[in-house]
Amino acid sequence: MFIVLLIVHGLFAVALLGAITHQTASAWLPMQRHAGSFAGRFRGVSAAGYAKAIVVLYVCTAILGAIIYPEFRVSIRGVLDELDAPAVMGAFELKEHFAVVGLAVLPAYLYCWRLPLADEYRRTRMALTAVLAFITWWNFLVGHVVNNFRGYAA
Amino acid sequence: MIRPRSVGFVAIVFTVVYAVAYVIAVWKNVPVFTYHPITGAIGLGVEKPQGGPAMYWFGWMSTAAIAASAACLVAALVPERVARRLGSAWAWVVPVCVLLFFAYLLRGYFLR
Repeated sequence: MFIVLLIVHGLFAVALLGAITHQTASAWLPMQRHAGSFAGRFRGVSAAGYAKAIVVLYVCTAILGAIIYPEFRVSIRGVLDELDAPAVMGAFELKEHFAVVGLAVLPAYLYCWRLPLADEYRRTRMALTAVLAFITWWNFLVGHVVNNFRGYAA
Repeated sequence: MIRPRSVGFVAIVFTVVYAVAYVIAVWKNVPVFTYHPITGAIGLGVEKPQGGPAMYWFGWMSTAAIAASAACLVAALVPERVARRLGSAWAWVVPVCVLLFFAYLLRGYFLR
């Protein structure tokens, strides 16, 4: 069951990663004209349309992470301690705290992306999106490294 | 009835207070409860490990949620003219500072 939940957690994280990366690119580097290239189409999406999906994906990913976290503490953390990898453990500790900060950011983030987009919130909107993108990327990469670390160490 | 502008104010207050309350809860170890994953037991406040690790993470989040909810109740009563004075930049400046503080707090893992 733990493995199934871990995989579903990872799949939600992948979807979240794609959505937040699209939105960040679109918010920070908006297309002024019709996009012709792959990069142009990547950042040429309608960023506001991603906001609610990102909130739902973030909350679902966080809930799944919270469900599997006790199993990690009981079964896996001890293994990492034996492998003497303090940096990996530290990165994971940061991941758990960053995830909570991301949850805290969601109400303000959702309000700033509310349609019609208010120009007075443009900078805050961009910054909050970047913060969420950073947290998502950090948590995704650290989750992968921790998940695979025993294999790397071997 | 809360007006739309006030919803934004309350959302920013929630973000700021939750982030600050959470980092204080972690830093000073103030969880509402402790979860013992081996036994499935839950105890109020800080408890020592019982036959396995003790988890404070859920308790820290709950502490922050209580603080943020209380702040939101107060924020909902704040007059519109006062609410307008709060810049929306706080919604990202405070979380960024909290992220940096966590990196500082956990520096020991990376500097061994």
